[in-house]
Amino acid sequence: MQADRRRLNAPAGGTAPPTFAPTTTKPPRRARKPDEHRKIFLQTGIVPSAAGSAYYELPPQSIPQADGLLQPATSSLKITCTVHGPRPLPRNAAFSPNLLLTTHVKFAPFATRSRRGWIRDASERDLGVHLETALRGVVIGERWPKSAADVVITVLEGEEDGWHGIGKEAEGGRAGGWGSMSVLAGCVTAASAALVDAGIDCVDLVSGGVAALVGAEGEGRDEIVVDPTPAEHDIKAACLVAYLQSRDEITEMWMKGDAGNELENLLEQAVRSATLSRSVLVDAVKEAAEAKVGLQEPINGRSKKGQDVTMTG
Amino acid sequence: MAPYTNIPLSPAELSYLQTSLSATPPIRPDGRSPTQFRPLVAEADILPSANGSARVCFSDGTEAVVGIKAEVERTGRADVFREGESEGEDVNATGEGKGRNEWLEVAIDVPGLRDDDALPVFLGAMLSEALGADGALRDRLWINARFHWRLYVDILLLSPPLSYPLPLLSLTTHLALLNTRLPALLSQGDEDPLFNDDWDASTHLYPRPSKPSPATQKPPITLLVTTTGPNILFDPSRDELAVAESVLAVSAAPTASGSLSVVAIRSVDPPSRLTAAGVPREINSASGATATASAGEVLAAREKDEGRGVWRAPRGGVGRKVVAEVVKMVVAKGGVGEEVLAGLEGVET
Repeated sequence: MQADRRRLNAPAGGTAPPTFAPTTTKPPRRARKPDEHRKIFLQTGIVPSAAGSAYYELPPQSIPQADGLLQPATSSLKITCTVHGPRPLPRNAAFSPNLLLTTHVKFAPFATRSRRGWIRDASERDLGVHLETALRGVVIGERWPKSAADVVITVLEGEEDGWHGIGKEAEGGRAGGWGSMSVLAGCVTAASAALVDAGIDCVDLVSGGVAALVGAEGEGRDEIVVDPTPAEHDIKAACLVAYLQSRDEITEMWMKGDAGNELENLLEQAVRSATLSRSVLVDAVKEAAEAKVGLQEPINGRSKKGQDVTMTG
Repeated sequence: MAPYTNIPLSPAELSYLQTSLSATPPIRPDGRSPTQFRPLVAEADILPSANGSARVCFSDGTEAVVGIKAEVERTGRADVFREGESEGEDVNATGEGKGRNEWLEVAIDVPGLRDDDALPVFLGAMLSEALGADGALRDRLWINARFHWRLYVDILLLSPPLSYPLPLLSLTTHLALLNTRLPALLSQGDEDPLFNDDWDASTHLYPRPSKPSPATQKPPITLLVTTTGPNILFDPSRDELAVAESVLAVSAAPTASGSLSVVAIRSVDPPSRLTAAGVPREINSASGATATASAGEVLAAREKDEGRGVWRAPRGGVGRKVVAEVVKMVVAKGGVGEEVLAGLEGVET
């Protein structure tokens, strides 16, 4: 029979949706030691128009593959933070004896694999509340009556909730947002640096840290790792703290999952993780302060020193 | 009047509360012991058109209603393909490990607040986090490879949020989930689900304990804990929250072995951080000090006082030991968590 040549005809035999064979790509495994934090890049004073600002990055790591296959980077995190204020409250606002701190956390639409809209969704608002809790305990609000400050965080590249190998997309939804804990830890550290840059009085530097209880591979007991990358682990429980080292206090704590008897250890390791990131925070703040008072001649806004600091804790 | 906190207490009143709450043993304004809860009225199965419902009314007048509705929903095509990979070895048709957290939706309505305000968002995240923490609930929503239940947990706070409503909402949700029933499934395997239309044959979402095995799964509960000075106080009222140094929301769920286990902890921003500080006597011109003190002198005097003489909004956070102590008090055998669970079990429908 002659086919109708005036139309786009459907294929004669019908079609079946393509099903893809599972690849042999294995999820990446952690190359760091259990108590080793990823390297942190932190710099303050990057946005001239804001009172204070900071940029925080966990650079992507490339893990060499034995079979020579291309392995996508497991994680990278890029956060910018700006602090506006303290500025006076508008005339018609009610009296406030303390500094009013507001926090906004927003993922850029391209920050994660699934696109985020321009309007903040529930998880971003939730992160904003967490961040506010972490910072409120640190800022000495009573020194700025009738004033307000805004902490605005944009996550340029966010941590994924799980490994995105083929057929594993569902894991992210099932595991339920482990990646947002690392993001929040970065937000806390970046916001702390930006608050110092803005010259807002704080009782201490606050740094964020995450630890997770992960299932062991094969035989063996569960293990607690510092600064987990969700793609590399089977996370059972995770804990985030915002920690003030010199006071040995926690302003924000967020624990999810069933840790059983390991809860106390998990908290200890999260505090340890926060201590590690604090050493970078202290160095970044010190470097910025030295550049400000003229001990160092800044070149293009960057200090001459630019040396790495070893994380200790 | 402090507009941003809704705490109608003066620095002197706050200081009084703080002193009595940090005494050993603490003296709470309503005479309770540190671990004692406020009396409450609870009833379950009140809404005829919902799969499960409950109402809880606290003695301070706050009241919440929870209605739980379940709908059958087709599982997405992509999920079916993925499940197909493991179909060969999958002989037992239970939902173990196949549930998804997205099938559970928690919505909170608080009068006077917008849906996207911080409080409902935070409360919703806290409650759904606790519910999703143990995999048992989401796995029970799995019907077969092609269909699942979608569970809507709608929480309605009937009164304005006088004190922090988290424990109220959590207890009401717990009670409603305990009484949630799903129609019994008649169809088998992966065919389109067909249900028994006899409501008496329906099954509980959380199976009731049977005589031989009293241990059973139960939904989690979320308790609000505050610290004031050295003391840990459970179920704080509004006045106690106004002077709290830190507030923790601890979610605990019973495990298969019958003991309690903590599934989620969050710290909550205490409203006390927004209260106004008092003025020390040395710089108070009303009590005879010179009114010409400079701003620097006032600041120095306030810092020197360190909140001992007059009220000052608390700074910093909570110690690690205190967190461990709180967890121990919640999950211990015969501790607060078990007491609350036992109390809620006695609620008649």
